[in-house]
Amino acid sequence: MTSAQLYYLLNLLIYAGIDIIACLGLSQQFGVAGVTNFGFIIFQAAGAYTAAILSLPNDSANGGFQSYLAGWNLPFPVPWIGAAIVGGLVALPFTFVVGRRLRGDFAAVGLLVTAVMFNLLVTNYRPFLNGAAGLSLVPAPLQGEYDPSGAGYQWAYAAIALVLAAGAYLLVRRVTESPYGRSLRAMRDNDLVADSLGKNLLAQRTSVLVLGGALAGLSGGILVGYITTWAPGAWGYAETIVLFAAVIIGGAGSHRGAVLGAILVPVGFEEATRYIPSTFGPPGFVDDLQWVAIGLLVVIFLWFRPQGVLPERRRIIGATAVPSNTPNEDVVSLAGPLHASRGAATAGSALPAADPAPRATASPAAADGGAVLRTVDLARDFGGVHAVAGVSIEVHRGTLTGLIGPNGAGKSTLLGMLAGTIPVTSGQVIYQGRDVTGLPAYRRARLGLVRTFQLASEFKRLTVMENLLSAVPSHRGDSLAGALRGRRCWRRDEEAAIARARVLLERFGLSSYADTYGGDLSGGQRRLTEIMRVLMTEPAMLLLDEPMAGVHPRLARQIGAQLLDLCAEGMTILMVEHELAIMDEFCDPVIMMAEGTVLATGTMTDLRARAEVVEAYLVG
Amino acid sequence: MSLFLASFGFGLVTAAVLAIAAVGFTMQFAVTDVLNLAFGAVMIASAFVAYALNQAGVNVWIGLLAAAAAGAAGSVLLNQGIYTPFQRRGSAPITMVIVSLGMTLIIEFGLQAIVGGTNVSYTMSQGPTVRAGGLVLTAVQFVIIGLAIVVMAAVHGLLRYTKLGKAMRATSANRSLARNCGIRTGRIVTVTWAITGALCGIAGTVFAINNGSFGATSADLFLVVILAAVFLGGPGSAYGAMLGAVIIGLATEISAAYITPSYKDVIAFAILLIMMVLRPGGLLGAAVS
Amino acid sequence: MLTTRRTQGPERHGFTAGEARRAAALGAALLAAAGLAACSSSGTSSSSSAGATTGSSASGSALVVADLAPFSGPDAALGPTYLVSCDGATQAINNAGGVLGHKLTCKGVDTRGDPADAVPATTQMFATTSNLALVIGCTSDEAASVVPIINSRKMVAFCMTGQSEFDSVHFQYFYRLVPPDLEESYAMIAIAQQLGYKKIALAFGNDIGSQTFIQPAISAISKAGLTLAANETLDLNASSFRTEADKIVTAHPDVILTEALGPTDATFLSEVKQLNGGTMIPVIGTSADISPDWYKSVAAAIGASTLATSFHADNLVTETSGPAYTPFYSAIMSEQGKVGSTGDFSTYLTAPGAVHLYDGINLAALAMVEAKSTVPSVYAPYIEKIGDGTPGAVVVYSFAQGLAALNQGKAIRYEGPGGPTSFDSFHDSTGIFQIDAYNASGAVQVTGSITAGQLRALS
Repeated sequence: MTSAQLYYLLNLLIYAGIDIIACLGLSQQFGVAGVTNFGFIIFQAAGAYTAAILSLPNDSANGGFQSYLAGWNLPFPVPWIGAAIVGGLVALPFTFVVGRRLRGDFAAVGLLVTAVMFNLLVTNYRPFLNGAAGLSLVPAPLQGEYDPSGAGYQWAYAAIALVLAAGAYLLVRRVTESPYGRSLRAMRDNDLVADSLGKNLLAQRTSVLVLGGALAGLSGGILVGYITTWAPGAWGYAETIVLFAAVIIGGAGSHRGAVLGAILVPVGFEEATRYIPSTFGPPGFVDDLQWVAIGLLVVIFLWFRPQGVLPERRRIIGATAVPSNTPNEDVVSLAGPLHASRGAATAGSALPAADPAPRATASPAAADGGAVLRTVDLARDFGGVHAVAGVSIEVHRGTLTGLIGPNGAGKSTLLGMLAGTIPVTSGQVIYQGRDVTGLPAYRRARLGLVRTFQLASEFKRLTVMENLLSAVPSHRGDSLAGALRGRRCWRRDEEAAIARARVLLERFGLSSYADTYGGDLSGGQRRLTEIMRVLMTEPAMLLLDEPMAGVHPRLARQIGAQLLDLCAEGMTILMVEHELAIMDEFCDPVIMMAEGTVLATGTMTDLRARAEVVEAYLVG
Repeated sequence: MSLFLASFGFGLVTAAVLAIAAVGFTMQFAVTDVLNLAFGAVMIASAFVAYALNQAGVNVWIGLLAAAAAGAAGSVLLNQGIYTPFQRRGSAPITMVIVSLGMTLIIEFGLQAIVGGTNVSYTMSQGPTVRAGGLVLTAVQFVIIGLAIVVMAAVHGLLRYTKLGKAMRATSANRSLARNCGIRTGRIVTVTWAITGALCGIAGTVFAINNGSFGATSADLFLVVILAAVFLGGPGSAYGAMLGAVIIGLATEISAAYITPSYKDVIAFAILLIMMVLRPGGLLGAAVS
Repeated sequence: MLTTRRTQGPERHGFTAGEARRAAALGAALLAAAGLAACSSSGTSSSSSAGATTGSSASGSALVVADLAPFSGPDAALGPTYLVSCDGATQAINNAGGVLGHKLTCKGVDTRGDPADAVPATTQMFATTSNLALVIGCTSDEAASVVPIINSRKMVAFCMTGQSEFDSVHFQYFYRLVPPDLEESYAMIAIAQQLGYKKIALAFGNDIGSQTFIQPAISAISKAGLTLAANETLDLNASSFRTEADKIVTAHPDVILTEALGPTDATFLSEVKQLNGGTMIPVIGTSADISPDWYKSVAAAIGASTLATSFHADNLVTETSGPAYTPFYSAIMSEQGKVGSTGDFSTYLTAPGAVHLYDGINLAALAMVEAKSTVPSVYAPYIEKIGDGTPGAVVVYSFAQGLAALNQGKAIRYEGPGGPTSFDSFHDSTGIFQIDAYNASGAVQVTGSITAGQLRALS
């Protein structure tokens, strides 16, 4: 190999390192957390600019033909550290777009527009970063002490880039393989449900934006140190598309996939086209075809293999049996009542007090007259329609309270307001003596008031075990700080959670499905998983939205029996259901709603005797 | 004052082009729930169809009709061939956006591979410059404004007074319910894409006429301005798109006159972002909190 | 998010420690493999310095002149245009027998018009081009990132960038025959003075190459006692400039100075014409506007006859006849039909870089002959010698003439169609400016000239 070939190879290795770091950051945001950040390139650009203006001398140097901020001539590695920090900070304003309850595609478009806007601003406002001309004559790291064109320097540069890439890999792995990573993936799969289970979506999205932003910023710093120049032309939205194509093709959500994607697309694909002589076809033909090819690859991969070449791995937790491949067993026999199953589950493992017992808050049964949940004149309007009007109910501790009514009565709306997933127009929600009307859903979940959803809400790309574990409250590993501290920090909590989950799986008869993806379960199994998951949150009060819908009647009865057991242990449950037979058998009292108001409360027998109730069902 | 009036006039022209495009875009979203980011690509491809005819000696206004037809055909093909299969599979909205970006690359750079990278212009006369009060517009620009008004009226008439329009509105409000009411939603969707595709073709051609000089990637930035108009008015609302187009068109040109023109498009983008963060339903949509 | 799919079978949940070891091992293996490959090379390089990339080539093998420029992206027209000059120049050299028994060939290397992409293009060029003898092209889009690399590989480059940094930063192997943007600004103002204009409007694009004109233009305007009527920056991404055009028109300037490449000038100027009631305001452009592509877009937008009567541009003095021009003319025109082109082939005679790159190639080739070596570190010093000349040197106007004189043992000075060169300590040579205009059929005509004194008065 000649020295020129060596330099070319080193160039490619450096670019590979840079693209790997960038793709890992993007995969963290897009693949793991489900934040489609079309503005990603801005972070890399911010990092590159920061490294440049920190390492450049004052802008009157070199003849003063450039105009930029800073210019402090700082030595390596300060500019690179600054690049990573600024890349992370730049992410913060972006959270305005992703933090709101925006549809994924709207948020993505917003981020894309932000990227375009920043490019225009930087291009047109010259004093900031020298406008369209960009920054040149950026000092290479340690160029005073070493000759940047020397082979030894180039080797060292490539080595550092690759070491940093390896470091980035380990960092994102550590975050993703932690309970926090699990929460991120849960948010990706179904953010509404994650919110209702106590996950602070805004904080989670912010953390991946900042982490990914820092990585992108670092990659920008490395790049600018190598090419010694940086201009708006180098970071348009074309570059973002290439990185997205890399992550999609390599495998979104899988960090090895991100590495592979980085090597295949920005490095491999773009380099391969350099070997086609540029005189092939009219000028620019090859380059145009390259873009067409990238577009085709993206569409083809999303159609045939959306999980990418190296897909996200299934996480198998602990030593278990081989996962079952027969997902369609609808009739599952549940274990008997609680006591027997608890005994069975303790065989062989030291079980700490890990039952799905209700949260041991000093249940203020005395305060509030035994009502765990109370509403005062609760109302919800949708543009003139009174979905719920003047509802004042009380739910008492230890009861399995039913909520029935014809279609459109406002049951789901009421449930949503109780849980915090739907905002209140007027009135109050008092939980355990405390006014929670203004609290968002995830905060109520953390207080022990949790809901389930009518439509399928399992986390499709998490296994059943992971679905359960994702709901655990106060897990030491369920925060960025905890994740970064590593396994040692959260191992205890994780093991305790796993033990509890196994008890539940045993009790609800799904132990052999622990490692099946949520998306592969049958309807009845999904319901059970949702119930188990919500029990993992150690709730004091459950709000169940049609938990028996679409479930085999025998299984429904078994679920009902389990719910009664839980109530006997002190939990409070409010359950919306259509099946009046279920209400008959399990629920006492039952609240009946029609047209947004409460018609009557009492046992089913009482209600059946009331004329207005019968009428409402026949007419409404 | 004359500066204000002049920029007001320019704003009307921009709003006219934007309105035709934004209404098409938003109706595609309304009826299929897809943010078709390949809209700009189809626009410019249709403009080139008109250019090809123009080079062969055909008057550009007749070429406009051909562009409309090309836009209609291309859009229907895009929806039937690409978007519908993905949707049938249950792809998430974000997947659809990425697919539409991929299609943008394929269409635009495929086009550029054919027509080359240099910019072209239509062979046409811009007509006399009319000075009315402080407004300074050419005859062609007046025609464009007139064309936009006609198109808006036609869309309004379609939506409000025809059976097809009602069916379109029903389908966008609630597709399964519409189907249960006997509306052939599949066909409505196809027809909607054909109509909006025609709007796309017309918009592309007037865009190219208004610019004087255009190339395969000219519509890239314009797409973002379309998005601004659509989101300002409320995605899915045709009247919202019209309103948004007028506001954005006027705001960008007037601000360019009084602040610096370099940031003209930045104003549009800032409006888009603020709307998205504060009121994603748009001005005419529900305030979703 | 993405659609749900079943994935393949289960994998062990690895330990972080193990993964760390594996990652480190992979990285080390990668580096070791590369290192082994390097060490096992048929060593022409030492490991502590960048060796020369070309040794003396085997007799008879072709030498490569690389056109390192954008062949794609917004400036895609530049690369192929330079290639025409390259082909013409090398053809003439080959017809005269080549350089030291070697023929010359041209090769295009696409930088894609952005500095980050240009770097691997450049390193790949060095890696895959044996017998590389010279680099031409390197425009403002990428010069800042590639010139340091080319220089460290000790390869001679004749670049097309007017960027200010090359006015005062020393790169040993870098040569520039095009004027710095600074001087072009002064030249444009000088033209305005000559044509008797008093109120000047500026309309420059917001890209690297065009923005550098503004500050010098403003200072020159005040030095010359003229009035700055308006200063608008044109966003090259925007599709319409009516407001900017209106601001300029309402300021009633006598002339507009502009450089805004791509479709921008075409759109902008047509809007100026419209807003000015159909009458074009006189325009002064830069040498970049003397190009077939610019002419084509703008003529289509405002009309060829309008363009002919209201447009001037500064350009370095280039011959249009005479002993240097004739061989240049035949060299370029002999390429007609052999290379792809847009429209009238004779526009390549006046395209950007046409004369300068032709001259650069000739200078390098003659330097190789005189140095009796094709190694850049050996022949480079002869470029200045032949370009500036030594006392008593014979003036030659083409490669063939220079070759003949050198074979007779004479010292030579090369004067090509770009005029006499005068390299300063940064290897920048700039000549006298002339005033160009287009006639109604698109051919370039010289309508005046600017003296060095006039330029000095403005700087």
